Amino acid sequence: MSENYPKLDLNIFVTIKQVPKAMKTGADGLMDRSGKSMMNPHCTHALEEALSLRDRVGGQITVVSMGPPNAQKSLNEALRKGADRAYLLSDRKLAGSDTWATAEALATLIKFILKENNETLDVLYGGLQTVDGDTAQVPAQIASRLKMSQVTYVESVKVLDDKHLEVRRIIEGGYQRLKVPYPTTLSVTETANVPRGPSLTASMSAVDKEVIIYNIDQIGLPEKYAGLAGSPTVVSRVKNVVIDRGPVQLFNEGDTAKLVSDMLTAVNTKEENN
Amino acid sequence: MSYPEKDSKIPFVDLRDGARGIMVWAPLDGDKISEAAFELIGEANRQKSKLDEDSQKIIAVLIGKEVDKHAQELIHYGADIVYVIEDDRLEEYLTLPFVTSLIDVINEAKPEIALFAASTLGRDLAPRIAAKMNCGLSADCTEFDIGYYANRKRNQRFKKAFKMIRPSFGESKLATIIGPFNYPQMATARPGVFRKLDKDSSRTGEVIKFQPKWQEGDFAVELIETVRSSDSLDLTKADIIVAGGFGLGKEGFDMLNELVAAIRANGQNVELGASRAAVDAGFVEYKHQIGQTGKTVRPAIYIAVAISGAVQHIAGMKESAKIIAINHDPSANIFLSSDFGIVNDYQEVLPELIKQVKAGYKFDLD
Ligand SMILES: Cc1cc2nc3c(=O)[nH]c(=O)nc-3n(C[C@H](O)[C@H](O)[C@H](O)COP(=O)(O)OP(=O)(O)OC[C@H]3O[C@@H](n4cnc5c(N)ncnc54)[C@H](O)[C@@H]3O)c2cc1C
Ligand SMILES: Nc1ncnc2c1ncn2[C@@H]1O[C@H](COP(=O)(O)O)[C@@H](O)[C@H]1O
Repeated sequence: MSENYPKLDLNIFVTIKQVPKAMKTGADGLMDRSGKSMMNPHCTHALEEALSLRDRVGGQITVVSMGPPNAQKSLNEALRKGADRAYLLSDRKLAGSDTWATAEALATLIKFILKENNETLDVLYGGLQTVDGDTAQVPAQIASRLKMSQVTYVESVKVLDDKHLEVRRIIEGGYQRLKVPYPTTLSVTETANVPRGPSLTASMSAVDKEVIIYNIDQIGLPEKYAGLAGSPTVVSRVKNVVIDRGPVQLFNEGDTAKLVSDMLTAVNTKEENN
Repeated sequence: MSYPEKDSKIPFVDLRDGARGIMVWAPLDGDKISEAAFELIGEANRQKSKLDEDSQKIIAVLIGKEVDKHAQELIHYGADIVYVIEDDRLEEYLTLPFVTSLIDVINEAKPEIALFAASTLGRDLAPRIAAKMNCGLSADCTEFDIGYYANRKRNQRFKKAFKMIRPSFGESKLATIIGPFNYPQMATARPGVFRKLDKDSSRTGEVIKFQPKWQEGDFAVELIETVRSSDSLDLTKADIIVAGGFGLGKEGFDMLNELVAAIRANGQNVELGASRAAVDAGFVEYKHQIGQTGKTVRPAIYIAVAISGAVQHIAGMKESAKIIAINHDPSANIFLSSDFGIVNDYQEVLPELIKQVKAGYKFDLD
């Protein structure tokens, strides 16, 4: 830890989602989650921001997720990278959650953990968006429920003093720098950092750590707010996208000189009327 | 109007509880109104005829420092009512006071539909409002419709539900999202997708000055600075754009500049473009950035070198007439949006390209 940083012992949470590796729809038109899965790419950047903040000022990192039991895999990966605690909210009744219901569930889980342990939260990190949900809505909606400020599209985070972070966010045409007091929610972009791999020491201590799994009753989430029942939106229809640009014409025959001249010739060839 | 026979047992409901009209947040880009606001007002005008007669009004919301002067312009582009919220602390966007402002306007004006640009600001603001108002929110829509919808599970039918259509599954599908259960029905929409109306300076409307009730903590986050690129380079006028990505590194950009110079030496109008990752890494200046948070361009020829083809980049160049991609990764997304491609290292391809341009090759521009 650098001497320039105050020792703050922050209570840091990270929301992590496990997503399918290949995006497919099942017969019911919903996401097919039966194939291989991974930690959502943006969440790896959120976790890295959390680890790097803890490296600087000290503290504890808790990773939380909502999903099927096998989402433990991503949480275990986070433990091996250095997270201190991991919680999974898993319940069939959560199926069909839209962002409102996802945020409700995760916020209830986080409040429950804080209460159980008599803690308060300092920084909540989320990924900017997921590759499956792809809404970039959940972190802001959790922040609203936890009554915290939020900064989305975060590209960099500096520790200003013992009460504030300096956060840089993307905007159209440039960026903004903000002075943000704790507690806050930050959603992190892919350009923010390069995530570290698992560390040997963290992996060793991860062996003794277990993902704690709850269902909705255990954390006191009413059934009417969970899953499809709690979601103010539904997907009524899914259709295929028609791409209007024709398939790409690739040049891969011959040496580079020929590739380039073949391509340049094709670029200047008028399309036949069809 | 006839409805499907198979649904005839499901009762029609109207849960709007007095909510009427379409609301559009009109953000500013520096000191002018964002194009996205005009686009959404245009689309709202195209949709409104499908609503009940008493709901065919467009409500724009303008928030900032001394923004009153922009209200008439919103009316000229199709707004009927403009709520103006002025505060010296709101010269630039800040999440919490903007959330409070819009929630107070929504509670006052009670729109049936609320639209936001899916910009870095709209995607920050809208989810927070939806969470607070317990409404659904559909992200990044590219198409809207209003019409019949039956929900068997809930045993409810709606005559005029808002249909929010958005790309999903990595842009391969279009999903229709519906939420006529809570109001307003909320969506963010991709900038650049919808057309604005022609400006009509004779259009009139109502301007309402509005004072929100600030909540405790609304101003806890302070803005240190906002940095926007100064527009000294007009990429939009170039016939040819040669754009480089993160994969080029600093040296690669030297080579790319050489290609630009060679094309220019042949008398063609060419400029250098770049991805955000290349800009972030410091290889080129911000003014060269193309994409969602950079410039939108549509040249005759677009050459993307070592650019992976992230949606935010594609958003800024997909309208180019001919797109050429050079990338050593055959699975790079950029090839899905290109007409011509070479799968190879740029260090192989660029010197050859420069050579052939220097030997007199000119791109056909029509
Ligand atoms: C809110 C938001 C707004 C954004 N706005 C924009 C925007 O306006 N514009 C924009 O561009 N991005 C934008 N981005 C970032 C975007 O998501 C991508 O991160 C970015 O476009 C990636 O840039 P890149 O393709 O240069 O880099 P990478 O994704 O790192 O891709 C580099 C590519 O180079 C190829 N490559 C590497 N070496 C070689 C070689 N030797 N020869 C040939 N090919 C090689 C690789 O195969 C790879 O495909 C935005 C992101 C967010 C979250
Ligand atoms: N089911 C989930 N479990 C944990 N975190 C989630 C979940 N869904 C979304 N998130 C968080 O919210 C971010 C944005 O997701 P989204 O709004 O789905 O695009 C993700 O990167 C996660 O940090």
